[in-house]
Amino acid sequence: QSFKLLGFLDVKKVPCARESVLYGSLGSLVMGLGHFLATSRVRRSCDVAVGGFICTMLGYWVYCRYNLAQQRIRQRMLKEGMQNRILFEGSYLDPGKEQTGSERSDS
Amino acid sequence: MANHAQFGFQDASSPIMEELVQFHDHAMMTALAICSLVLYLLTLMLTEKLSSNTVNAQEIELVWTILPAIVLIMLALPSLQILYMMDEINEPDLTLKAIGHQWYWSYEYTDFKDLTFDSYMTPTADLPLGHFRLLEVDHRVVVPMESPIRVIVTADDVLHSWAVPSLGVKTDAIPGRLNQTSFTANRPGVFYGQCSEICGANHSFMPIVVESAPLANFENWSSLLLSQ
Repeated sequence: QSFKLLGFLDVKKVPCARESVLYGSLGSLVMGLGHFLATSRVRRSCDVAVGGFICTMLGYWVYCRYNLAQQRIRQRMLKEGMQNRILFEGSYLDPGKEQTGSERSDS
Repeated sequence: MANHAQFGFQDASSPIMEELVQFHDHAMMTALAICSLVLYLLTLMLTEKLSSNTVNAQEIELVWTILPAIVLIMLALPSLQILYMMDEINEPDLTLKAIGHQWYWSYEYTDFKDLTFDSYMTPTADLPLGHFRLLEVDHRVVVPMESPIRVIVTADDVLHSWAVPSLGVKTDAIPGRLNQTSFTANRPGVFYGQCSEICGANHSFMPIVVESAPLANFENWSSLLLSQ
């Protein structure tokens, strides 16, 4: 099942979307309420709340997607490393194989 | 293939399609932020009195110039990255020619020996139980998985388009012209597509089926076809 915000953003399926919207809402509440408590201006506090929602949501989104991209790169490197290990196991390219013959330094 | 009433992308089967899906998510989140702002401003305008005593609009003009510029940069940078990624020069392991006809595709594997076959849609009356209507073909395009494949697309008569959404590939087939695209299927599977350029009465009935398989299976398949 999917839950689409405004009909197009599926927060259940898209990675980082749910956390971005939730943190955005929290940031909006904190900033709007904080501004109101400090200034008692309703209209301006609503503006700050909406601005806070957008900034917090996009800020967490960029941070989370950056980490996700790095994780995916590491996963690809791991996968390639595992494939190469299987491919080179037992051959002279095997990194786990002990050095023998003229390459030994204690002769 | 797509599920019934599917609205979003199919699962990605190539690195480029994965990147496109990620970019689409990023664009939708940016759209959500913009729509939230617009909805809020709309609500304000509908609830406020219609009056304006603004004589100097320098600040608002600065805001509504800089903010859209930031949004455009946020969208343009990943978009251009993917665009250039799609055009990277890689060394394909296999070259496949796809030729569009009215109303079927023909494929040629001519790297080693001349393997040529036609790919017609399986009529619904002949479809085995459980197979997909208007998507199955008599001869699938088999490619080795996790290998860069170059596809040269052209047409014999009218405009066609060779498209496989799951691989992130769509290339126009133009008579007298060779268009090139490439993909890497990063998992084994069967990927469906349909002709994407109107080409006559049976435009909807000339599907494309790409089957990616381990290299050994691909070699067996090509040997079998060559021997026939």
